Formats: sequence, structure tokens, C-alpha cells
Amino acid sequence: MELWLAVGRSVIKASTPLLLGTLGGIYIERSGVLNLGAEGLMIVGAVTGFVVAVNTGNPALGVLAAALASMMLALVYGVFVVTLRANQVVSGLALTMFGLGISSLMGKEYVGIPAPHLPPVPIPILSRAPIVGRLLFSHDPLVYTSLILTILLWFILYKTRVGMAVRAVGEAPAAADAMGVNVYRVRYACLALGGALIGVAGAYLSLSYIPAWTEGLTAGRGWVVVALTVFSMWDPLRALLGAYLYGGVEVLQYHLQPYGVPPALLSTLPYLATIAVLCVISREAVRKRIGAPAALGKPYTREV
Amino acid sequence: MAPETSRSIATFLIIGIVIGAVIGVAAGYFMPRPGMVPLSKLEELRSQVDALRSELEAKGQEIAQLQAKIQQLEEGRKIKAAFIYVGPILDYGWTHAHDVARRIVDAEFDWLETAYAERVSEADVARYIDRFVQEGYDVIFTTSFGFMDPTLEAAKKYPNVIFFHCSGYKRWKNMGTYFAEFYQLYYLNGLMAGALTKTNKIGYVAAYPIPEVIRHINAFALGIKEVNPDAKVYVKWIYAWYDPVKAREAAEALINEGCDVLAFTEDSPTVVEVGEQYTKEGKQIYTFSHYSPMLKYGPDTVVSGQLVHWEVIYRDILVKIYTGVYNTTNLENVDYWWMLREGAVELGCDFGVPINPKFVDELKAKVIDHPEFGRISVYDLVFKRLKQMSEPTVVFDPFTGPIRDQEGNIRIPAGMRADHDTLWTMDWFVDNVATPLPTGGG
Repeated sequence: MELWLAVGRSVIKASTPLLLGTLGGIYIERSGVLNLGAEGLMIVGAVTGFVVAVNTGNPALGVLAAALASMMLALVYGVFVVTLRANQVVSGLALTMFGLGISSLMGKEYVGIPAPHLPPVPIPILSRAPIVGRLLFSHDPLVYTSLILTILLWFILYKTRVGMAVRAVGEAPAAADAMGVNVYRVRYACLALGGALIGVAGAYLSLSYIPAWTEGLTAGRGWVVVALTVFSMWDPLRALLGAYLYGGVEVLQYHLQPYGVPPALLSTLPYLATIAVLCVISREAVRKRIGAPAALGKPYTREV
Repeated sequence: MAPETSRSIATFLIIGIVIGAVIGVAAGYFMPRPGMVPLSKLEELRSQVDALRSELEAKGQEIAQLQAKIQQLEEGRKIKAAFIYVGPILDYGWTHAHDVARRIVDAEFDWLETAYAERVSEADVARYIDRFVQEGYDVIFTTSFGFMDPTLEAAKKYPNVIFFHCSGYKRWKNMGTYFAEFYQLYYLNGLMAGALTKTNKIGYVAAYPIPEVIRHINAFALGIKEVNPDAKVYVKWIYAWYDPVKAREAAEALINEGCDVLAFTEDSPTVVEVGEQYTKEGKQIYTFSHYSPMLKYGPDTVVSGQLVHWEVIYRDILVKIYTGVYNTTNLENVDYWWMLREGAVELGCDFGVPINPKFVDELKAKVIDHPEFGRISVYDLVFKRLKQMSEPTVVFDPFTGPIRDQEGNIRIPAGMRADHDTLWTMDWFVDNVATPLPTGGG
């Protein structure tokens, strides 16, 4: 029991950056912009958060700065792919490479020094509840934030006019435009929100989960986010499922190792699942039903 | 006959005799005799000696001038050494340690000029070597096991350049090998780990199941066994040299399963960070740092660790190249396998801090019955063993038999020490490691 409680806590911590990043990825892609730059956005968030936290001594400021830095970077990406209508695959990959490079440059002076951690904040009363108290209610604020955001972002996407506009822009931008929705503005707004969330995911790694800065800290977690965005079929609630599934596998592989379960095989599971999802949604009927953004990756040109 | 005539004849005779005598004596005096130098020659010799002496003085000045010139030339002559790294210099692990050493020797010798290339993949290393050779580098260090074959190819291709490859076993007439080995330190860490554990479960986060890592885990386990035969070692493999997220998950998994001491072989300070976090939250976890000083990451958790001094090896190699001891024809048998005795490695979690002061009392309080030293505290035992392994003649080695593997087979017979090859190819765990070795790779 004690073991499973501890494992459960580990799963929640391991899944949080993936969940935050995937929520960001969902909003970006829901608006019709491909998000292959997630790894770059995440690592820029990680390094910015760390640098600011070290210099100010305040990890919360670090998280804020991470959100702003990745938001700016996502907007720059937006200039290329929304306004200038550049190829989104190439631009996204370029964004990743740029992020990896600039983070290494920014972090040069910060390798080998400890930073103030994001402290765990047990929620009063709830954290004293048996089992659930330790499992759910004694984490750092970003864990709670990610869970609240999941519900909030799901609600906005499906139950509000704003969410409708986002989905319309990703589905049929011309129609949305005809309805009076500003396609460019929606796409920029989604990039800003998504970039900020992915940046916070990076800051969670460098300020709470690892917590330290070394080059290449994210080690491919941005790509996991890209895979999970598809796996969750662009739905925030399914993102929760996907992220916790992946985080669970990540954590459990170490507990299963002594029983001879090959960890390399377990590590491939999320990608295999993603490919399976891609196969399923390649059918038009399914695609329509789950609402995959039809205009994903297609630059929008307003017809005059 | 008239008297005047006879008198004048007598006078003539006397004068003749006198003159003859004078001439005879003079001639006798002045005739050269064997073994004797005429006075006139003496002067001549003296002047000759003087001439030689002044000539000598002039030559002496000439020699001094030439010597000064040689010295100047020597001082002006540079050795250009290039370092090729597999990782980024800021990984705070393997590559970082090599680069720290490069900077130390670069600052130490006026005649040394260095350059480096970081994040070089195995596929690219040959191109980087070509570039450095074209730029006139005399010595090229390649610092990853995977660079071994490309380095050997390059050594054959460029017979006038000296190559040194780190962690491999292939050599050539102009290619040597070197390695700073840690197993003695892991053994010393094991002594402390065995003394500190309360749960008798000791965790180890490991990169890949390769001989080097297995050797380190075994040395660590042997140290634990010496002070605490009941404790067992649990191993989690992360199948990466550098992946802080995986290292964190593996470390947490070990803690979840009840381990209260953690050691590791991978290239990030994550395990120490995890230990610090749990300790701060009220669960004391003891950790041992790896490769770089990590005391500042975990002042409440790090007990000791392993530190490297690559500069000791680089200094020795470069000075021997500079003074001509090593050249492009005699490196076939040059293999550095340096440890405590040579000062290539150091026990500690920071330079000069062999044991975190926070845990000294705890280690002094733990007293055991030791077959060799009798009743002794673990603290004293650590320093006794450290001294034994640091002396010019190493009187103790952790891999001294009898050592059994997990199946109970004797791997190293009683009284025998493991040789270089046994250590270099180790593919079995000692008997107090609880986790089986993975079969068939990952």
C-alpha cells in the first residue's frame, strides 16, 4: 500500500509537465497550427525559468518568466506560419533547433549551480485526508494548476463561444472568417496561450522535477508532447488520460525492471499508441466524429 | 828557427784553443738534446696556449648563445592539442570533467595550445580529426568509447600525429589509451553506504549494463558487504548516459521501494537533487555524488562521492610528448589506468571534502568488528582503506577473493586479486546485489 501510494505520487509528478505541454499543444493545433516546435518552446521555458529563479531567488517569478519567454517565441513562430504563411513543418523543426541552441547559450553560466525549488504546498484540510491527501493534495502548485487547467481548458474549448471560435478556425478557417471570426487573431492567441503552457512545463522540469539546469534538459519531452497531442485527439480531458498513461509507464518501468520487462519496449508504448491513433483517425468518418482540426498545418489566406 | 816565429805560433795555438773551446762550449750548450725544449719554443707554446684559451672563451660564449637560442626556440615551440568530446561541455558530468582538465593544463604550460570540439557524434569524429590535423594539431585526444575505431583509423592515416583515446583498448604506434578508474572510490562509498542504511536496501541508478558500470556497482556492493552483510543493492537501469527525467524516475522508484541510500553512474546531478528533496521533506536519504562535485546540490543528503582529476593524466601525457619521451613510434603499449595511487581520482563530494561533515559523527559512531583491523569505526576504516590504496605499493584491492556471483559461483578465488582483464570484461554481479542483470540487452 505504502509502495503504491508512493508510486502514485511519482506518477502524478512525472505526468504534470507532459499534461501542461499537451494542453498547450492542443490549443495551438486546435486553431490549425502544427506544433512541431514544442521541444524548443519547452527547453526555452526551462532555461528562462531557471535563470530568473536563480537571479531573483523566487521560483514563482521563474515560472512566470518561462511562460512569457515561450509565449514570445511562439508568437515569433506565429509571424512566420500565420502571417508569412511559411511551411509549418519546416518552421516548427527550425523552432525546435533554435530553442535547443539558444537555451544552451542562455544557460552557459548556470550549469552546476542549484536553484530555489518550487516548494510543495499541501492544501489545508484536504492534505490530511487518508491516502488521497498524500496522493493528490501535497504537491507543488503547478500540479494543482495543471489539473485545474485541464478542466478549465476543456470547458472553454467545448462550452464557450471562444472555444467554438478556436475550433472553427482549425476546422474551416474560411467559414469562420465569413462568420466574422478573425482567423489570424485566434491563431496568435492560441499560440500565445499554448507557448506559455509549454514554457511552464519546461519550468516545472528545471525548477521542480529535476530541479537543475544542464544542457538538453528536456531530453525529448517536447516530442512526447507532440505525440500526446495527437494521442489525446485534441481533447484536454483525453490529454489528462494520455499524460498520466505515459507518466505511469515512465515510472512503472523502473518498478517492473526486476521482473524482466524490457524498459525500451515500455518506452516505445506512447509512440505506438500515437501511431495507432493516427491510423484510426485517418478514416474520414472517425475524423469528423472526434473533431480533428481539418485545417491543421494549412496556412490561411483570406480570399478577397 | 827565429824565436819570434815560434812565439807567434804559440800565440796562434793559444788563441785557436781558446776560440775552439769557446765555440765548443757554446755549440755544446746550444746543441738541441733529446727531451729538452729550447727556450725560444717555450714562448711560442705560451702564446699558443694563450691563443687557445681566448679561442675557448670565444667558443664558450658561442655555446651560451646557442643554448639561449635553443631555449628560446623551445619556449617558442608550441604543442597544439585538440580534444574531441562526445557530449556538451556543460553536461556537468563526463565531458565537463574533461574540459575542466583541458583548461587546467592549458593554463599551466606556456608551450601548450588547446582546442576542443563538443557534441561530436561517432559518425562525425573522423571529419573532426581531419580538420584538426589540417590545422596543424600535434596531439588529438578523443574522449568517448565509441570514438575508438575512427581514432585508430586516423592514427594509421596520419602517422605523424599523436593520438590518445580515452576508455578504449585499441592502440597503435602513434595511439595510446588512458582512463581514470573509479572502482576503489565506489568501494569506499560502499563502506559508508553499508554503515548508514537503516532499511538495508541500497539503491543504484545506472546508465547501461556494460562492464564499466557493472564493475562500479560490484565495487560499491563489496564495500557495503564489508561493513553490513545484510544490506542488499537494488539497481535500476535508465538506458541513457544523460536523461535527468529518467534518472529522477529511477531514483524515486528506488526510494518508493524502500531504499534509503542512493548511488549512481549517469551524467547528471539528478539523483542528489532527489535525495535532497526527500531529506528536506523529512525522509533522510543518503546519496553519493558522481564525477563532478555535487555537495552544493545536496548539502543534507550527499555523504561522499567520486571525483576525477583528468588533468593529472593529461599533464603527464603532454609533458612526456613535449620532452620527447612519447613520439609517434612508441605508443603501442602506453595505457594509463590511473586510480588513487596516481592521484587521478579523489574520494569526496567536493574537492577537498572526502566526507560531508554532516555525516562524520554518524560514521564515527558506527563501530564494527573487522577481520583485519579489529574493532574500528567505519569512518576510520574508510581512511585506512583509502591510505592502503593510495600508497606507492597498493596493499589492498576491493576485488580480492573470495568473491561470489549472484548464483553463488566463486568468480575470484580466495587470496587472488582480479586482474585488468577480469575487471575490464566484468559481466556478473556480486552476491549482495539483489537485482538480476538484464538478459539480452535492453
